[in-house]
Amino acid sequence: MDEKTRRGGKLARFFQWLGSDLKDIGATFVQGDWKTRMSYLIMGFGQIARGQFVRGISMLVLQVLLLAFIVFFGWDYLSKITTLGTVESSMRGRVITYGDNSFFILLYGILTIVAVLVLIYLWRVNLRQNRDAQRTLALGKRLPTNARDASSLLNEHFDKTLLALPVLGIFIFTVLPIIFMICIAFTNYDKNHQPPGKLFSWVGLSNFKELFGIGANSNFGSTFFYVLLWTLVWAFFATFLTYFLGMAVAIMINKKGIRFKKLWRTILVMTIAVPQFVSLLYVGKMFATDGLVNAMLLRWGWIRTAIPFWTNPVYARILIIVINLWIGIPYTMLIVTGLLMNIPAELYESARIDGANAFQTFKSITLPYMLFVTGPFLLTQFIGHLNNFNVIFLLNKGQPQSMQLSNKAGATDLLVTWLYKITVEDNNYKIAAVIGIMVFIVTAVISLVVYNTMPSVKDEEGFQ
Amino acid sequence: MAGSNRRSNAIIYAVLIVISIIWLFPFFCLILQSFRGEYGGMVNYLFPKEFSLKNYQFLFSNSSKFVRWYLNTLTIAVFVAVFQTIIIICVSYALSRMRFKGRRLLMNSWLVLGMFPGFLTMICLYFLLKLLGLTQAGAIPGLILISVASSGMGYYICKGYFDTIPKSLDEAAIIDGASRAQILWKMTIPLSKPIIIYTALVAFMAPWCDYIFASYVAFGNEDSYNVAVAMQRWVWTNDYQGYFTRFCAGGILVAIPVTILFMCLQKYYVEGITGGSVKG
Amino acid sequence: MKKQVLALVLAALMVCALFAGCASKPAANEQNTPATDEQNTPATTEQNTPAETKDYGTGEIKIWVADNVTAFTEEQAKAFMDAHPEFAGYTVTVEPVGEGDATNNVLTDVESAADIFGFAQDQLSRLVTAGAVIPVADENAAKVAADNDAGSVAAATLGGVMYAYPLTSDNGYFLYYDKSVVTDPTTLEAVIKSCEDAGKGFYMEINSGWYQPAFFFGAGCTLTYDTADDGSFTACNIDYASDNGLAALKALIALHKSPAFNNGSSVGNATNAAAIVDGTWDAGAAKELFGENYACAKLPTFTVDGATYQLSGFGGFKLLGVKPQTDENKLAVCDALAAYLSSPEVQLARYNAVQWGPSALEAQKNEAVQADEALAALGEQLAFAIPQGQYPGDYWSLATALGDSIIGGEYDTADDVALMDALKTFQDTCISYAK
Repeated sequence: MDEKTRRGGKLARFFQWLGSDLKDIGATFVQGDWKTRMSYLIMGFGQIARGQFVRGISMLVLQVLLLAFIVFFGWDYLSKITTLGTVESSMRGRVITYGDNSFFILLYGILTIVAVLVLIYLWRVNLRQNRDAQRTLALGKRLPTNARDASSLLNEHFDKTLLALPVLGIFIFTVLPIIFMICIAFTNYDKNHQPPGKLFSWVGLSNFKELFGIGANSNFGSTFFYVLLWTLVWAFFATFLTYFLGMAVAIMINKKGIRFKKLWRTILVMTIAVPQFVSLLYVGKMFATDGLVNAMLLRWGWIRTAIPFWTNPVYARILIIVINLWIGIPYTMLIVTGLLMNIPAELYESARIDGANAFQTFKSITLPYMLFVTGPFLLTQFIGHLNNFNVIFLLNKGQPQSMQLSNKAGATDLLVTWLYKITVEDNNYKIAAVIGIMVFIVTAVISLVVYNTMPSVKDEEGFQ
Repeated sequence: MAGSNRRSNAIIYAVLIVISIIWLFPFFCLILQSFRGEYGGMVNYLFPKEFSLKNYQFLFSNSSKFVRWYLNTLTIAVFVAVFQTIIIICVSYALSRMRFKGRRLLMNSWLVLGMFPGFLTMICLYFLLKLLGLTQAGAIPGLILISVASSGMGYYICKGYFDTIPKSLDEAAIIDGASRAQILWKMTIPLSKPIIIYTALVAFMAPWCDYIFASYVAFGNEDSYNVAVAMQRWVWTNDYQGYFTRFCAGGILVAIPVTILFMCLQKYYVEGITGGSVKG
Repeated sequence: MKKQVLALVLAALMVCALFAGCASKPAANEQNTPATDEQNTPATTEQNTPAETKDYGTGEIKIWVADNVTAFTEEQAKAFMDAHPEFAGYTVTVEPVGEGDATNNVLTDVESAADIFGFAQDQLSRLVTAGAVIPVADENAAKVAADNDAGSVAAATLGGVMYAYPLTSDNGYFLYYDKSVVTDPTTLEAVIKSCEDAGKGFYMEINSGWYQPAFFFGAGCTLTYDTADDGSFTACNIDYASDNGLAALKALIALHKSPAFNNGSSVGNATNAAAIVDGTWDAGAAKELFGENYACAKLPTFTVDGATYQLSGFGGFKLLGVKPQTDENKLAVCDALAAYLSSPEVQLARYNAVQWGPSALEAQKNEAVQADEALAALGEQLAFAIPQGQYPGDYWSLATALGDSIIGGEYDTADDVALMDALKTFQDTCISYAK
């Protein structure tokens, strides 16, 4: 089956489902008793009338709260969401009267839409509960008691109890802002259109056109791909260099006959323990042209002129990857140390009898095992490095810039640090949102594909 | 054989000693700088000409709110560590042990959501927090709320750890009549000491480095800065000429407790991360 | 109170969602008034009371200034409140927010920003464009214009409207040097030579759009922008792509090639300085660094292909702005307070407290101010500098890019044609910012 028909199938199935669901709503009404029918208007009515107070009252309260929210708070914003506000701020003498605030209209408008959807969903659940209760009673069975309802939340419905708070939190503080920022990509929200003083409005796809070089500032698209490329290169080197070197260090420390194992490990993990805003800021300064490292090299006569560690793009990039080793090796070292102990000793024993040397043992036993079990770890490391803000920002803030690049991008800027400059320093939210969507697509595609093809994840149920 | 082994051990010792020097050198410099008595800008020599405690004295004097910032950060770190751990345990248990509709979708979507660059949503989060009155003067609870609210997405390692606890234990307990809640409380949690300590430790350490969002939420209100926000100004802005040695001193004071805590709990950290992030 | 209600509602929603037996996501924030209205509702005022006993109501006024003048500003604000019992209903809080951060923060959220804030004059158009600063009241404007030097007044004015109160007239740069190393501070070549011989550094932040024009303007180029009344840029006057520009660029490249050169403009970050191009705010730090060898002078001259030019640069100013107010009474208090904090007397007091060079003519005539070495050097240099107008934010990053390209060695071996190309690109890009 090719892609198109499968998608078509999905769509068809959706409409089929929608149709049958609507039919079910109708059928429930036709076949329902007066308690069920009243529940179409007053959610939870039927449940209460049948003695299921816990369910009924919570439904009712939810309906009242959501409706109140939509009518008294949300509607005002929702009604303006198509224009994002039309009333400009005005000055009466020197006193300002703020007009519509496009930002709040968009944000609370989205919130209201979500509230409406939640209400519809709850209403549907409410109907289904009524239908099922009516059927159960018709069969002469008893409905679950209130106590049973409550205690099921600690047992078979325990997942709902556990997940309610996290899901709510993630929704409000992660999903909602993301939806909001995706919408921003289709507006002209930038330094010239800042609420509350100014309005912003929908502009369609023009921000995307600018990114891909169709607009006036065509340097922008090439800068994006330049930064994207370096981001990928950086993530690749940062991940694999720390991985292999960390493994090497771990193997060295764990070698039989090496003493003070704990001491070596403790020294290495210092870089994890000391907060980065202290250690990285200091190390960054050490490598300045007039910093400690250059001064010492000059004093010892190793170099004649200071090495421009941070101002030469190539040096800066290499140095960042090297300094990242300082931060990154200990993590791999720790994880590999734990794993080395899991490799059955007999494997090494038999390899030794076969006359394999240390490198051969590593290549044919240690490495394949490590690669297999640390797959998920490597993936999270890679994604982490794609978005590694601290290392870049604290070391050199993405410098040096170049005439070849636009919008403050520098040679060591990752997409995230560039985004930071665009939003916080330039207030260019519309472009930032567009780049954000691109970053999101790149990382999400990479990781979803890798993640779902990983043997350990695919085989989740089988493994225990 | 023994000879070559001794030789290779000698090489390894040499390598480890070099690595240790490289690893410790910056911290050594940092400590020296924090005791430097002469003018507090950057210098290009290692050993101070004059040792003094005046940088530390400054931090604890009335002219600096360092103690306040320190306590702010500590408060955030403790609360975040406690609540984030609770949330992550809840989420991980549900995802590891229970099977419900939409579980796969939830896991995938959370994995993907975590990849959306966080800075973009900063302004949105700022105004959401402002709606709740948790910015500027209320920035401390605000920062705790933000860190905790989204922490469910960090279930990954903890769930991996729970997955390694045999399911047969749960099944046996269910047959004995235990509820899911009892199993989590009485069986899974006691078996998961390393991952709990790991989760709490990671959560505790993060706020000490939170500069970007914290400065975004607390701006214009010095009383609710954390150490990172307050002290980065000392090295990055022209308003604070000669604060560099004070920055070093403050940095040392921040690093000491975090480092000690980490060293003490290192064992659990290793067990937690190896148990949870890999599968064999 | 509102906070608690909101929390309660959220909690209630969640519990209900649980008992309804579904893990749905009720996301609702209950609040009956939009946040913007909070400040729209005027404080309790009785506007009909006669003028002589005018009640200004109550409120809180926030002030943001740089850290080193926080204590000073607090003192002055207190003196102001003591002198004006009619404003007794207001409390004033002063927070240290650097001039760089202030604009960013004001633009993030005008509502939570300070009512009165200090900023460097290059931020003015950004603030005006975003509608984050209001014009000086007409009755104050004339007095402010008369009290302060012409440059600072021009810097506070955009499209014929005065938007801010001048605070200082010292945002320019000149040369601090170590007498024991640099014997002749009059030519760049001599300064560099002395630094090289002593193994010391010459510091100038040539990748900054602020310091870099010292060379270009010195060589006779211009770069200014015309602005419309709303702060947007309408035209760019630039001639960098010329023989003069070429001379300046060559001088910059020659400077970067010197082993003594270091890119930097902050005494606190200069580890090996014998000479540094910097401003008055670093005077204290420079004194401390150079000790008894401390000296300052106007910027040196530089020579390219036999022609000698005097290094120029920007003269800049610090300003005090008032953000838009929704309450007439509070606005009146803010106006009065801002006018007081920028008055000649307070400027002089500020100089005495933290050595910020005043923009008020009267304060400039003061003996102590006249005797200040750093201000004298700055004064001498300002004769060669141009008052800094408004530049688009993109200009600053473009200048950094040019500077970084120079320092990174991209032009080390370039011939005149290639250099001219680079200047042409720079010029075209500058022009493209004004639309």
